[in-house]
Amino acid sequence: MEITASTQNDITVLALQGRLDGLASPQLEQRLDALVAAGTRKVVLDCAALNYVSSAGLRVFLGGAKKLKSAGGRAAFAALTPPVHEVFELSGFLEVLAVHPSAAAAAASLA
Amino acid sequence: MTPAVQLLPLTSSLEEIPRVADAVEAFCGPLEPGPRDLHALQLALEEAVTNVISHGYGGRPGHAFTLELRREGRRVTAVLTDDAPAYDPLARAEVDIHAPLAERGIGGLGVHLVKKLMDSAAYERRDGRNVLTLARALAPPAP
Repeated sequence: MEITASTQNDITVLALQGRLDGLASPQLEQRLDALVAAGTRKVVLDCAALNYVSSAGLRVFLGGAKKLKSAGGRAAFAALTPPVHEVFELSGFLEVLAVHPSAAAAAASLA
Repeated sequence: MTPAVQLLPLTSSLEEIPRVADAVEAFCGPLEPGPRDLHALQLALEEAVTNVISHGYGGRPGHAFTLELRREGRRVTAVLTDDAPAYDPLARAEVDIHAPLAERGIGGLGVHLVKKLMDSAAYERRDGRNVLTLARALAPPAP
């Protein structure tokens, strides 16, 4: 999995590419932990090029959203591909995480 | 032509996850699976394999177990056999997928996905081994 970070004002966008499986998920967890530790409070997870997520990846998504929330911040998820959308739906994550059609819409929701 | 049965020896390491995904894709190749079917099989097998490694073997490396893949018509069956202590993953309590964010945990979600994605899932303890059998019938190939 590739993670590409960019910033817009106080919002960090992490563009995820490839497969967020049990082997790759610690890499994202460390990245999110580092952002929160450095003071970032608004994070967009752009999933437009993410074509796979397992429960290990969901655990990192959920943990990241909770850590940001308890620090007074927020996470917004964007542009889910069909397989990732299916996993969110089956897991009930569409109800607990903020999911937006595009990275721009996700960023706007955090502004 | 790929044989209709394939035995994949695995070790108790998360490094096996992408290897299993690649093996499933190659094994299903002759059936020309649609993206949803391939995704379902890869995801269910990641969850099942992770369960063996993390729960069965407690995350300890160096244990060997096997994944057998079978094709019968368009039905793909996967059999995971391990010699870890008896453990029926399918007996886990159902997760509450409608709980709010603060109360959401992740325990049991993998098994929940396995049950949702497979047409059948069965566990038995046989000859001192855990045997988990998962199956899914693939949709007809695109015309």
